[in-house]
Order: sequence, then structure tokens, then C-alpha cells
Amino acid sequence: MKIIVAIKQVPDRDSQIRIDPSGKWIDESDLQYAMNESDAHALEEGLLLKEKHGGEVVVVSAGPESVGTTIREALAKGADRAIHVVADELGTLDALGVARLLAAALKDENPDLILAGLQSEDLGLGQTGVILAELLGLPHASLILQVEKTDTGFSVKRELEEGWFQTIELPTPAVLTIQSGGNKLRYATLMGIKRAKTKEVRRLAAAEIAVDSTPVAVLQQVALPRKQKSTQLLAGTAKEAAAALVEKLRFEVRVL
Amino acid sequence: MTFLLPTLAEPQHFSLAEKLLFAALVLASALLFWRRFGVILDKILKSKKDPGFHLFPIGERIRDFVWEVVLQAKVIRQRPAAGLSHAFVFWAFCAFVLVTLNHGAQVFGFGFLNPAGTIGRFYFWFAAVFALACAVGILALFVRRFLIRPRWLGEKLSWESGFIALLIFVLMVTYLAGFFVAGTGTSIRVLWWLHTLSLLIFLPIIPHTKHLHLLLSPVTVFLSRGSFSRIPPLSGDEDFGLVAGADLTRLVSLQAYSCVECGRCTEHCPAANTGKLLNPKAIVLGLRDYLNHCGPSSEEPLLGKYNSQQAAFQCTTCGACEFQCPVGIEHLPILVGLRRGAVNTGAWQDTYGSKLFLALERGSNALGISPAERDKFIARQELPLFDGTQEYCLWLGCMGSYDPRGREIVADLARVMNFLGTSYGVLRKEKCTGDPVRRLGNDLLFQQLAEENLKNLAQNKVKKIVSICPHCVRTIQEDWKEYGTPPEIEHHSEFLARHADRLPRQPLQDKVAFHDPCYLGRYRNVYDEPRAVAALAGELVEAPRNHERSFCCGAGGGLAFLGEETGDRVSNVRAAELVATGAQTIAAACPFCNSMFRDALAAGGEGAPQLLDIAQIAARGLPPIGPDSSGMDSNGMGGSGI
Repeated sequence: MKIIVAIKQVPDRDSQIRIDPSGKWIDESDLQYAMNESDAHALEEGLLLKEKHGGEVVVVSAGPESVGTTIREALAKGADRAIHVVADELGTLDALGVARLLAAALKDENPDLILAGLQSEDLGLGQTGVILAELLGLPHASLILQVEKTDTGFSVKRELEEGWFQTIELPTPAVLTIQSGGNKLRYATLMGIKRAKTKEVRRLAAAEIAVDSTPVAVLQQVALPRKQKSTQLLAGTAKEAAAALVEKLRFEVRVL
Repeated sequence: MTFLLPTLAEPQHFSLAEKLLFAALVLASALLFWRRFGVILDKILKSKKDPGFHLFPIGERIRDFVWEVVLQAKVIRQRPAAGLSHAFVFWAFCAFVLVTLNHGAQVFGFGFLNPAGTIGRFYFWFAAVFALACAVGILALFVRRFLIRPRWLGEKLSWESGFIALLIFVLMVTYLAGFFVAGTGTSIRVLWWLHTLSLLIFLPIIPHTKHLHLLLSPVTVFLSRGSFSRIPPLSGDEDFGLVAGADLTRLVSLQAYSCVECGRCTEHCPAANTGKLLNPKAIVLGLRDYLNHCGPSSEEPLLGKYNSQQAAFQCTTCGACEFQCPVGIEHLPILVGLRRGAVNTGAWQDTYGSKLFLALERGSNALGISPAERDKFIARQELPLFDGTQEYCLWLGCMGSYDPRGREIVADLARVMNFLGTSYGVLRKEKCTGDPVRRLGNDLLFQQLAEENLKNLAQNKVKKIVSICPHCVRTIQEDWKEYGTPPEIEHHSEFLARHADRLPRQPLQDKVAFHDPCYLGRYRNVYDEPRAVAALAGELVEAPRNHERSFCCGAGGGLAFLGEETGDRVSNVRAAELVATGAQTIAAACPFCNSMFRDALAAGGEGAPQLLDIAQIAARGLPPIGPDSSGMDSNGMGGSGI
């Protein structure tokens, strides 16, 4: 089984995010990067399927040179080879533009399954995977926790609202976008990193892939959440504090 | 004088038949010896060369050899009665080298010690004194092994040990009896042959039993890795630690064959004493079994049939085993080596372990908390940032940055440093030193963390570090050396002890029991400094196991992050010992010990002694804080955000 996993490099959760002077993107100068979390779960699902049924896991990622570290991490964890669509100005593209690049890069691959993370930690559009499916003309399902191979295709478990799950069947090939937390991630090993050095990374320049990437959605502005410090400490004895609390709830917040 | 002392009798003449018989027996004995010893030697020499091993500085090796082997200091010091008995046997063997050579040479008329001559008479009497001591010693060891039977010698009685004891006893008695018989009769001939046969039977037994230590352990002690718990570097792209036979190095194989099965490692092991699978002696003997059955080039995994992966991951790396071992076995490089093999290849899959590794792959600390929380703590405590002008960089560590109790310790140390007028600053960014992943065998993560930290410290021009965590201190000072030159570092006990005379003594009548953290005591040889600080709070009392025999808290080796233990909790066992001293205060000097005992004491219910770090003890006696330093007030600690 040939499995493609689309991964994205995003700013690390622990990074201090600053807005760059244009106000349209974040300042990338002092950022640490990591693999998008739901993409890591997609990769894990791909590796589990490969371990069970054999085959090949190919990761594909679009982004600048720095994406190389995330690609290497995926190879270290067990992916067999990688395709890097080298694109510096990814921030100016919308999900359609990125999906077009990925679709073009996958043109000759003919996979049995394509996995992507549900959504990215930075932009959170949740669109790239499903648009990719549309562009390739493949069936897709989102919010996937588990994938099982059947005789005709795949049986997948989807997470719905309020603790409901849904199991659906898809033919092969198909595109699935994977929800975080459906499997346990493996850690990177020294052996994996050493083996990754000899694995193939095919580089495609975005400019050479003749696709129309004119954005249909344009990013106007990014902003940090405004800090609202509204914690108040009520002084006095428990009785006095309780009285003050009731008054505030009644007259300031008007919930009583 | 000489006429009062009887002369040692020797047979005067050996017939040709006797000469031939003797020669044949010696040859047979030597052949039998070599048939086994040659195989063992071959296995050791065919093992991989040790990366990073140097014979220099040779002076230290000679010093350790004289202390541990010639003087038997470690053997005696840690187990005085058995140790002294053993030393008598050992010294007698040394004294008997010349006697035995002479014994064989005289058959062919080449005897070089004349019992009637001055030198010969003196030497035979000199040897006789040792022979007597040896006979008494071996008898005592026999009684201990077969009648007293300490449990760490194992449940099975070793009959071969009994037989060897008998041979040694016969050797000594037949020698001593030579002083009381005539040189011409049959009795001396019988004694001579009994002595000879005992020797020739003993020789081939040596390589077949743990008595091999008599030949190997002096070499093992001499060829030690040079410092406590030194974890060797990995060599080349195919070295992932101890995975299979081909990864066993000469030192590991030599050590495996040197084990004398005395069980000192097991006696002191926190895992073996709290009902876990791990038994350090069994690990070493498992490797020996592996070498015997598979050999040093086998593909068979080291963890599997011969040693258990579960056991290897129960080690707290407290190092009591390595510290105690009288034959120079270095258990920590072995245990950590086995873990490296399992982790670097991905063979070890553990929910908690993976969680820890993933937290450190993406984040900065072992607790998996956002560094923004550390920033908030620094701001709230008004800790000055390190800017290159201060004397010390105050290294917070994961516990000091994120653990509520660890933060209290840091805050109190800062108060004391303010009081002493010592300048210090904290780094804006700090990553875990890599201690838990180093001990768990994740070399990839350890290297990343060490390199990033070294770069950060160099950029900030840090020259001197002080830290509340013995694990940080050890890892920065020793383990980081593989990847660069770490700044000078000391534990806060060393800093505080230097200034103890300037710190106010507290007018308390309390008894204080100090718990030696493994990574401060055995790893760093610091015992007196934290006691000097703890003594500010009252009269020091000692738990039964203290100093280099201290019993672990259970947190080391990454185990603090690996979830619930099987068997009894190590921390409960140790906390009970500390409580039993009757002390009102338990003094700790490691935030991990502190956190383990905090839970253990809480489980003990009401009336438990109070648990304080030595920094908290030092800070408690300081004059009350003025209004301008309210940032250091302990109220500021509330709601630490974890």
C-alpha cells in the first residue's frame, strides 16, 4: 500500500509570537518550528498502516528551506521518502493555492491513500486536505481517529460532536484528514535520524510547477488576542466576600 | 630465637616416578585451566574496543589499584567482618606466590628458598602468619556463607564455594603442619602431596567459577573507566548502545566475567529492595550467560532471553551498586548502555517514556509546561536576568522553573544570595539539561538539549553556575563534556556551606535528619557541605543508611516521569527511615528527592516531620523581609499556575 502523508511545519507552541511590521504575517526571525500536531498523528496513522500491511509512506510538504528539518523528522520516524515543494512565500497563498501545489507534486504518485492533518496550528483553515481531494477527484472524509483497511477500501472512525462517533467505509484511493489524539505518537530515535540521512528527498521548486496559485481568499490582517485582565480579588471575611460577589454578579455582570 | 621456632619441613628427595607424576599433573591441571580460561579470554578480546577509553592518567589507576586491590580498602570498609576475612585470604595468596613457586621448583631440585637459611626461614614464617590468618578467614567466610547465609548471596547454596573453601583450608593446614613434622618421614610426603593436589585441583576450577575474579578483578579495577558512572560516547553511525553481542565492549565483557557474585550491588539496590524485577547482580550475570552462550558477535538481542527490558528500566541510576562493587564492575554504563540500545532503536515503547521524550522534542522542559509559566515566575519573584555582569548564573532547572516546591527553593536561595550580597541572574531561556533522557538512554534528545544549552550559555557569556538540582549539576559538569566545554558549576550546598558562618543560626532545639541525594553524594562526593547548612536548624541526626550508603528517593534515572512503580515505593521506604530517626526536620538538597518525600510524608498522615531544602533552612533564619522586597515573600508563591 502506498500512503502519502501531507505535513506542514508550523511555529512551535512554545514560541513567543510577534506580529511583523506589515501586520499581515508573524515575525519569523526568532521562531522555533515543529511539525503540525494533527499532521504528526496523520504520519503515525500512516506508519501504523504500513507496519501492518506493508508498503511505502511518502511525506509531502510545501514551504521554505527550513521545512527540511520537519521532513527529516518524518523520515526519522519511519517515512520512506519525501517530496519537498520549495515555496518561500507560502503565507501569501490560500488553502487552494497550497492544495494545487501539493496536487501537482503528487501527479505521478498514484497512491492508495492520502492522509493529512485535520487543520494547521497556525492558520487553522482545515481546508487543504479536502481541497486536495477535490483537485485529485478522490473521495474524502475528515475528523478521522482510526483507519482500518478492508477488502475493498477503508473503514474509518470519525469523531462527531458531543462524544458521538461515526464509522464509514471508503473505496481506495481516498483522502482522509486526521484528528489529533487518535493514536499515540512515537518518539524520534537516534537510529531513525541516522537512517533518514540516506532516504530520498525530492525537491520541486514551486515556480517550476505550472499551477495557477492566485489566491481567492486574501489575508487582511493578523493580530494577537487582546489581553483582558479582569480578575478581581475580593477582600474581607468569607461572609463579606460572598456579599460583595453577589452584588457584583447582580449589578456588574447582571447574571443573577 | 631461631631454635624456638620450628623449621618448615620439606621432602628431601623426589623419585623419578614422583617427578613424572608431578609434571603430568601440572600439565593436566594447566591444560584444564586453559581450556576454559582461553575461551573466556578470547571472548573478552574479541569484544569491541571501548570508545573513548584512555589509560592515562596512569597515576590515578595505580592509586586506585593499591587502595582497592592491594589494601582491599573497599572490601573491608563496606563490609568489615567479611571484608577482613576476605583480605586475609587475599593477602595470604599474595604471600604464597613465592612459596608455591618454590614448592614446584624443589621437585626438580631448583628450590630457591631454604627453610634453614635466614631468608628462607624468615619468609616461610612470614607466609605462615598469613596462612594462619587465611585459615581463620576462610573458616569465617564458610560459616557466613553456609550458616549465617545473608540473603543477597542468593537462595541457592553454592557447593562449589564450599569445596573451594575446603581446598583453601587444606592448602593452609598442609603448609602449617609442615612446621611440626620431620623432614624425612612419610608424613611430610603426604602433606606435600596433599598440598600439591589441592593446588592442582584449585587451578582448573578457577575459570569455571566465580573464583575467576581472582585473576580478572585486579585487571578490571585497574582498567576502570576512570570516574563514577562514566557513560562512554557512541562511536560511528552504527553504534546505538548495547543492542546485541557486537556492541559489548571489552570492558563490559571483562566486567561480566569478573563478577564474584557477592551481592553487594543487590544488597544496596533500591529496586531490588522494594520488590522490583531489577537485580543488578542478575544483570551482570545475564551478560555473562549471554557471552557464554552467544558470544561477542551474536545478533541475539541483549535484552530478551538473558536480561529483561523491564528490569533495565527500573533502575534509578542511584549508583549504589557501582559504588559498592569490590571487583570494579561499572553497572551504570551497563544499565544505561542497555537502555540506550532499547531507546535509540525504538525497541522501548512506554506510554510515560514516550510522553517525556515528546515533551522534550517539542518543548523545553521535562514537565511539559509552557515556558511562558517560567517567565511569569521569574517576573513574579523579581529574579534578576543574567546580563554577564553578575558573578553567578542561577540555573533554575525544570523543577526550579515549574514545580511549586522547586520554585520555593529557588526563591529562598535567591533570598539568601541577596542577603549575602552575591550577584546572580537567571537566563531568559533555559532548557532541560537532558538528565532524564541521558539516563533513559535517548542520545538523540540528550545531544540536542546539551548542544542548545551550551550555545545559550556561551551566548550569554556565563562563567559560573549555581543550581539547586544535583541532577542538573552532574549533567552539566560531566555529561555535557561530550558536546563542548560547560561553564564552572556548583551545587547550592557548596555555595551555602562556604558562607554558612555568615548565616544566622536558628535558636531551635530540633533534630535534623539530612538525606544524601545520590547525585550529590555518590556522584559528586559532596557530603559535609549540605550537613553544614542543615545544622543551622538544629542537631544533626543520621538515618541508618547515610553518606555513600544513602538509599535513593526513587526519582533518578528518569523514573520520576515513568508513572507508578511495581512493588513498594522506594520513596516510602526511605521516608520511613528518615521519620524513624525522630527528627522534627528532614533536610533535602535535591528538588526531586523533595518532591518524592513530600508525597511519601503526606501519605504518612499527621505528625510527619517537616521537609525542607537546605536553602529553605538557610533562608528561615534570615532577618524579616522589609517592605521593599515583598517580591520574595512566600505569599507570592501562591497559584503558581501549574
